[in-house]
Amino acid sequence: MNPTVRPQPGRSHDRGRLVVEDLSLERGNRKLLDEVCAIFEPGVVTAIVGPSGAGKTRLLRCLNRLDEPTGGRVLLDGVDHRSIDPRQLRRRVGMIFQLPAVFAGDVRANLSYGLNDPDEEELVVALDAAALPAHLLGQEASTLSVGQAQRMCIARALLRRPECLLLDEPTASLDRDATTAVEQLVASLAGQDLAVVMVTHDLLQAARTADRALLLVAGRVAAVGPADEIQARWPTESAS
Amino acid sequence: MADGVRVVSRAVVASAVVALAVAAARARGLHIERELLVAAGRALLQLGAVALVVTAVFDQLGLSALFLLVMLAAASASAAGRWGNVARARARALAAIGAGAGTVLAVVFASGAFELQPRFLIPLAGIVIGGSMTATALAGRRLGEEVGDHVGTIEARLALGISARQALAPHISRAAVTALIPAIDQTKNVGLVTLPGAFVGMLLGGASPIEAAQVQLTVLFLLLGAESIAAIVATHLVANALIAPGERIELETQPPL
Ligand SMILES: Nc1ncnc2c1ncn2[C@@H]1O[C@H](COP(=O)(O)OP(=O)(O)OP(=O)(O)O)[C@@H](O)[C@H]1O
Ligand SMILES: [Mg+2]
Repeated sequence: MNPTVRPQPGRSHDRGRLVVEDLSLERGNRKLLDEVCAIFEPGVVTAIVGPSGAGKTRLLRCLNRLDEPTGGRVLLDGVDHRSIDPRQLRRRVGMIFQLPAVFAGDVRANLSYGLNDPDEEELVVALDAAALPAHLLGQEASTLSVGQAQRMCIARALLRRPECLLLDEPTASLDRDATTAVEQLVASLAGQDLAVVMVTHDLLQAARTADRALLLVAGRVAAVGPADEIQARWPTESAS
Repeated sequence: MADGVRVVSRAVVASAVVALAVAAARARGLHIERELLVAAGRALLQLGAVALVVTAVFDQLGLSALFLLVMLAAASASAAGRWGNVARARARALAAIGAGAGTVLAVVFASGAFELQPRFLIPLAGIVIGGSMTATALAGRRLGEEVGDHVGTIEARLALGISARQALAPHISRAAVTALIPAIDQTKNVGLVTLPGAFVGMLLGGASPIEAAQVQLTVLFLLLGAESIAAIVATHLVANALIAPGERIELETQPPL
């Protein structure tokens, strides 16, 4: 991993700590999240696992304020994230979606979207961090394979030098090789002091990629611990 | 007397054409017979009523202003009804239509191009309010559809730290442009593909083709202006409704707290 993608020098080690306190999200009369508590530390990859509909995506979206919780709060480095400018917050807490979001234009335009013309070197380094070759820069982004597009999205997020990275089932639409590439990339991010939170429905993937797993069932935290120990707490068919 | 007979026979013939449309719709199983009949019926009642009302207010500026307010309210309700789930849709539609029609009417009457009399105010206001209504309805609806279709891309932009307004910007422009296509095409194709209402009306009413063309040009230019303003204001206001606090997009309207 090239060091220039790393956070700015002088950044203290404990920046990017996300603390979730009693987070609830209600829609209509349904509690999609019910008093969720969690801590996501820099340098640690946490997998959020759980059955379909458990609220994994909703929890992730509350972390960068794409969803507004109806109760509780999220602290970024001890600061309630509602008191941070949302644009600033989202540059510090990057997000990768299940389907890669490709904007019009070439890969260069996609990477530098919203940035004040970043230099070529930075773009190449970001691509390299996402295991993509530099020659893709001029390629029309819509022509990338889904796996390449997803890695481009990761490179695009890393360019903003986030302190945390949220990934929502980033390999759901990828084949095995592309999945392996993304998993290795995710695992390596923790080495760059990022707090990484990855939603996955796959416990094996959680075990391969994450340092710890958080099991969400029906909007509540059912267990936290090493991924291989979470298996036992997974709800049976009848319970879910 | 012969005139009266002619008018009645024209009405009968026109009604027969509607009946033909209904029969064709039924034969093809389009299930729009009811809508066709309701539309024709409403047009009959409303135009009849308007003719009477206009006659009554024709020499009273105050009354005709009141009449315009009623038109404006109806146009706002109609346009807002096309938007789907938008908070305070009527107020937003009213602002858009009012901006489009109001600006144009203010220019036209303040400049002295037309005298501020009911006989000019009512038809001109009717035309620009109608045009603004269409542009407002289309612009707001299209923006809602655009945002619904591209919510993934928009949220991806938000997630990169872009403001909600910037993330919506391309969709706002596209919606405004789409809403203006009818006005632009009607203007640029006038005489080639279509003979629009004012021109046709004046010819049928016995005016010379030159006079008819002059009036039609005026109408088209006023419409272009009013509709452009209405579409721009409408997309702006509908975008405001879709943007939730915290630079978020809120598509489903929350139940009131
Ligand atoms: N606007 C809404 N109103 C009501 N319920 C909703 C709304 N949005 C989502 N839900 C419900 O919230 C629950 C949690 O959804 P979420 O997308 O977070 O699940 P998930 O754990 O990510 O599932 P998956 O693994 O299938 O992606 C689901 O049961 C979903 O049906
Ligand atoms: Mg999900």
